[in-house]
Amino acid sequence: MSAKTARAPISKARSGVWLARVALSIAALLMLLPLIYQLGLSFKAPADIFVKPINPLPANPTLENYATVIAALPLGTYLLNSLIFSLGVTFGQIALAIPAAYALAHARFAGRRLALALVMLSMTVPFVVTYIPNYLTVAGWGLIGTLPGMILPLIGSGYGIFLLRQHFATFPTSILEAARVDGANVLQTLFLVLVPANRAAITSLFVYLMIASWNQLIWPQLIGSRQSAYTLTVGVQSFASGEGGSSWGPMMAAATLASLPTVLTYLLVRRGLLATFSDGAVKG
Amino acid sequence: MQEVSPDETKQLEGAPRTAAFPFRTNDSRLEIAPYLLLLPAMTALGLFVFGPLVQTLWISFFEWNLVNPARRFVGLENYAAIVGDAGFLGMIAQSFAYMGLALIGNLALPVGLALLTLQLSEREAELFQSLLFVPAVVAVSVGVLVWSWFYLPAGGLFNVALEGLGLPKPAWLNDPFLALPSVSLAANWKFLGFNYLIALAGLRAIPREYLEAARVDGAAGVFLLRRIVLPLFGPSALFLLVSTLLQSLEQVFVPIEVLTVGGPAGATTNLMYAVYQEGFKFFRAGRAAAESVLLIGLFAGLIVWQFRLFERRVTYER
Repeated sequence: MSAKTARAPISKARSGVWLARVALSIAALLMLLPLIYQLGLSFKAPADIFVKPINPLPANPTLENYATVIAALPLGTYLLNSLIFSLGVTFGQIALAIPAAYALAHARFAGRRLALALVMLSMTVPFVVTYIPNYLTVAGWGLIGTLPGMILPLIGSGYGIFLLRQHFATFPTSILEAARVDGANVLQTLFLVLVPANRAAITSLFVYLMIASWNQLIWPQLIGSRQSAYTLTVGVQSFASGEGGSSWGPMMAAATLASLPTVLTYLLVRRGLLATFSDGAVKG
Repeated sequence: MQEVSPDETKQLEGAPRTAAFPFRTNDSRLEIAPYLLLLPAMTALGLFVFGPLVQTLWISFFEWNLVNPARRFVGLENYAAIVGDAGFLGMIAQSFAYMGLALIGNLALPVGLALLTLQLSEREAELFQSLLFVPAVVAVSVGVLVWSWFYLPAGGLFNVALEGLGLPKPAWLNDPFLALPSVSLAANWKFLGFNYLIALAGLRAIPREYLEAARVDGAAGVFLLRRIVLPLFGPSALFLLVSTLLQSLEQVFVPIEVLTVGGPAGATTNLMYAVYQEGFKFFRAGRAAAESVLLIGLFAGLIVWQFRLFERRVTYER
């Protein structure tokens, strides 16, 4: 849809183009600089970190910091926990969002407006407001310190429902009706017609939710109270605020290892992700 | 997205309609399918969002340490204690300061960058989009760690650079006045990419015919921007404005936790971070809940406004 709309430059003056190029290049450099320093510091020997700190490149690159971090932290466990946590939250949200979005986009029933209003309202509630009651719920279920306790409350989210509803709504209802006339039931219509047609949007929502939950800190930190339940972010944070607090090299090595999965995923699926994100932003 | 040609749709629409919508049971008035489809999602929202909202209001009337089964009903005492606290006005002022800084760093700046990006060819624009979005995919808690090194009073990047230029070296995160903007800057860095993308998408949704027609009529530069681009960009800009304000405190939350833990002497805390601190660090659940209620009160206008904006999108569609 957006492919055909405005791509015309605002002004065709060459000076304007050059101004934009220079300004955006500076902006991009400034945006990447913290990550460049993070990467550079992670390869600097401890003794070199405060020698010429302006130069992000290590004079004598070393893997020492990585060795320290790998020895000090059970990164394998953290990685596995992060993976289970993110997959759980992502699959959970999408599994609930797909049928709900279908009903909200293509069915007429009493209470439809109310249901949609609740979904939208849920997106405006500040997360911190729900933390104490949710903590109590998880504690009541005896799930403190466990991954299910971390995952379950985060499944209650309106974002995926709303995003998918907006995408589903652009699909012609008449086609769904035709499928029904041909004898498909509600679930067949949903999973054999509507879902495949919205594959791209669902995939991007999947990637977006994976990255977003992978990057969460506060909630997993509250619930994952023992080291065996730490996710990567929680593990790195506890290292940075504790034993690793002043050893910048190992801290930056840990930060680099923790960022690697999301940055690599982003580089792989960049195009689809950016498109859906901005598309979803315009549509909802 | 639509894989069906308009012709095909039309033809299908001519087909006999047995039910208003693709959910049919024997009695069309007893349609339970939509409710069944919604049930799991609505249960989750009720259990983990709306239930807690009500529960928070209830807890705010108690004095309670979150662990002890005994809790004492204190009526509005928690509210009185918060408002009477010496730090309360400062905390509200700091909440607004964060919101104001977000409007510069996370609204004006990304919208400006998006306007500049419009000048470039598709390929160049895509390159800058990709680069500017990278910090957005890094975990906040992890990404801001390097900022704590930048801000080190002795040996940190910023002060080494300032020293090299012969300028005074501030204490950054330890300075009561600089700490808040320093935390905000790190948060803005991390989240700029999102608003930049949304702004760019909004600007690109302006039909190019309008721009071309205006240009043929001799419009250019600032005039074109003010009279054509900005009015058409209005709805997206409004959405960005409201969501930036609403999200500003959420976005500085983790940077505060990692960089300053609210200090020095409460100089970087805000109403949202205070809820978390009261509840999970000082274990004063009642007071945290009362702060939550005040937080929602502070945001109520914005919440209603954002809700209306969401709703407008929905009605546009159908």
